[in-house]
Amino acid sequence: MRHPTDGTLRRLVDEPVGVADADREHVAGCPVCLSGLAAAQADAALAGAALDARVSPDVDAGWHRLSHAVPVRARPASAARTPRRRALLRSPVVAVAGVVALLTGAGAAAAADWLQIFRTEQIAPVAVSSADLVALPDLTAYGDVEVVEEPDVREVADAAAAEEATGLPVPQVGDLPRGVSGDPAYQAGGRLSAVFTFSAEEAAQAAAAAGETLPPAPPGLDGGQFRLSAGPGVAAVWSSDSGLPGLVVARAVAPTGESSGVPFETARDHLLSLPGLPDEVASQLRSFSGDGTTLPLPVPAEFVSSSGADVGGVPATVLTSRDGVLAAVVWVEDGIVTAVAGSLSADEVLSVARGLR
Amino acid sequence: MSTRPGAVRADLEEVFRAAYPRVVGVAARVLGSRDEAEDVAQEVFLSFGHSSVPAGEATGWLSVAAAHTALNHLRSGRRRATREQVAGDGDVLAPDVADTVVTLDERRRVRAALARLPRKQAVALVLRHSGLSYAEVAAALELSPGSVGTTVRRAESALREELTRHASSH
Repeated sequence: MRHPTDGTLRRLVDEPVGVADADREHVAGCPVCLSGLAAAQADAALAGAALDARVSPDVDAGWHRLSHAVPVRARPASAARTPRRRALLRSPVVAVAGVVALLTGAGAAAAADWLQIFRTEQIAPVAVSSADLVALPDLTAYGDVEVVEEPDVREVADAAAAEEATGLPVPQVGDLPRGVSGDPAYQAGGRLSAVFTFSAEEAAQAAAAAGETLPPAPPGLDGGQFRLSAGPGVAAVWSSDSGLPGLVVARAVAPTGESSGVPFETARDHLLSLPGLPDEVASQLRSFSGDGTTLPLPVPAEFVSSSGADVGGVPATVLTSRDGVLAAVVWVEDGIVTAVAGSLSADEVLSVARGLR
Repeated sequence: MSTRPGAVRADLEEVFRAAYPRVVGVAARVLGSRDEAEDVAQEVFLSFGHSSVPAGEATGWLSVAAAHTALNHLRSGRRRATREQVAGDGDVLAPDVADTVVTLDERRRVRAALARLPRKQAVALVLRHSGLSYAEVAAALELSPGSVGTTVRRAESALREELTRHASSH
């Protein structure tokens, strides 16, 4: 008879009852298979030692932590401190920088993020863990990303120069919050636009490399194009002694996305099904308005909490770092997205936002 | 924060108490650190709490989620190198048995090798060594029980090559 497969030999090592009698009998009398079995045993023992992890976690302590974390998700204001101090310090800065990068359309990295293929009329936070953020699929694995217009973000002399460079009225801050003083530095950036061309072949390769099988692409998606545009944008930045942004006020033409050929929702649902996106995040994204007018703003759930507010009658999203060090408020009105962020409290950024002229 | 605040499933505590040690064990096999493994377990149970996974499939779902999340942590570079040191000092891994075979340096190779394995192989390997049966691994990964052996075998072979290659390069 034919030799049993390596997989069968492997199962014989630790689950022999799962192996057919005929295979067992063959192996017992076959020098080739006995040798294969010995190799499988040796590798299994080595792997067992390499992966040895005899942990006896404290279930009560674990449950205590989880039962506190669950309400924290619903009511971020009661967020407890976690021991990840370094991460706490770092991540909100990244989050705020991310908001500003989004607003000013800074860089091809933003263009490569497919989350932005939404025409923006409102902003909705999506809770994702920072691991998910890192793991969000880079679109370059699924096709070509061509940056058509570079935003060329640069520092300009003053508000007038920023307005001239971008055509956007620069928001003027009424009263500066406590601890923020002096004059801001102004940054201006032009329009960013990028075209993403979906490639079923590249997507399948990326999936295979991750050990996943790609779901079949809907007809017409292969070669389909998505154009992302964002900006121009402008930001006024007050720095602080700590190096964290003291206060940032930014405004930009909100991102828009268009697709060619394939209906937008078909393409979106397929993109959502690509390997690498956690199911929960995908289902949250699917729940966004069918007309594609919402920009989901990914929020690293462990470090940043979000809540709703209004600024001059417009719904706004308030983001606060769980350690209370940083806060931001973001809203969209008439296709213009504005953000106020800084090492401030939520009340302070809201106060600045509502006082903008 | 969640789009469905308050929608935590009623059986969360029951499932948590039954499955927590296993879920931490799965993540610890990937990460080599109990602290990190517990962080991963928390993350996984939070997702589970908001999911509608049938209770009968909870253990498999949680184990797979723990393996994926832990592997994501490995790949994201989010881990702190110091954690590895702590693990080597006996934070999680019993110093007596495994240490005779696998040195701290080799532990790093193990983590690196896991991160490089095709995802399905890595998950199957970790689940099998976490005590899931072939049938459970097959169900959790939508494989046939026959191909679980093949997948695990390939993963173990790759792991051995990785560790031996390293040993012979010294």
